[in-house]
Amino acid sequence: MIENQSIYLALSVALFIIGAAGAICRRNAIVVFMCIEIMLAGVSIAFVTFSTANHSLDGIFMVIFVMAVAAAEAAVGLAIFLLMYRKQGSIDLDKFNLLKW
Amino acid sequence: MELVFLLICGGVAVIASLLVIFARSTLHSALWMVLSFFMIAVVYVLLHAQFLAMLQVIVYAGAIMMFIVYAIMMLNLRHDSKVKTASKISKVIGIGALIVLFLELMLVSLGQNLTAIQGPVTDKLVATYGRMAVISNFLFSDYLLPFEVVSILLTAGVVGAVVLAKRER
Repeated sequence: MIENQSIYLALSVALFIIGAAGAICRRNAIVVFMCIEIMLAGVSIAFVTFSTANHSLDGIFMVIFVMAVAAAEAAVGLAIFLLMYRKQGSIDLDKFNLLKW
Repeated sequence: MELVFLLICGGVAVIASLLVIFARSTLHSALWMVLSFFMIAVVYVLLHAQFLAMLQVIVYAGAIMMFIVYAIMMLNLRHDSKVKTASKISKVIGIGALIVLFLELMLVSLGQNLTAIQGPVTDKLVATYGRMAVISNFLFSDYLLPFEVVSILLTAGVVGAVVLAKRER
């Protein structure tokens, strides 16, 4: 148990919910991408809180791997946005219904 | 003192994250995002995870946000910068579900003592070797396989990005 543990957890919950709400409400692909990054940051804070509280390093390694995956995701995702823009002239997710049946 | 820092930085992080959603211009969203990431780095310092705070500033606020700002400027998004909304009913359902989830998670996180058994990283170990040495010791022994897998993933990501963004001829 660490001091203020519930405040750290509340912060992580707030960031996660804000990110999820943004991913639902916004249509701009890049803003949705940033909202997903906010969700990842919220989850990372929860991981680090429990890791510190339990004197363990597992949560910290999880966050390191999340960061690496987010970097790879950013590279591939932005390349996909570039392709979308070339094809359709915008990155509005409402217009991008290629996979819709 | 720690509580004051936590409340200030956490509050700024939450407000900056909200402004990411509500900002009209995509570039402004990206800049609020940088502020949010810096504040989260401060929260990591308060949690005694200094290495992660450094990584957060370098990787997130540096590299990933540079990617995003670069993409925004390259795509020239000035013409569709207004906030667009999905269909009403799906939005209402989604936000309602999120509010329920928020209340549940808050109830859990503010309610009880959630700590379990104590792990191997005691204060004595950290005081003897330093936190960084303990982290790298674990990273290159117990976590060696995930470490290598992530390096392969990063290489594949970079190659994939180049292949995707290349113009076909």
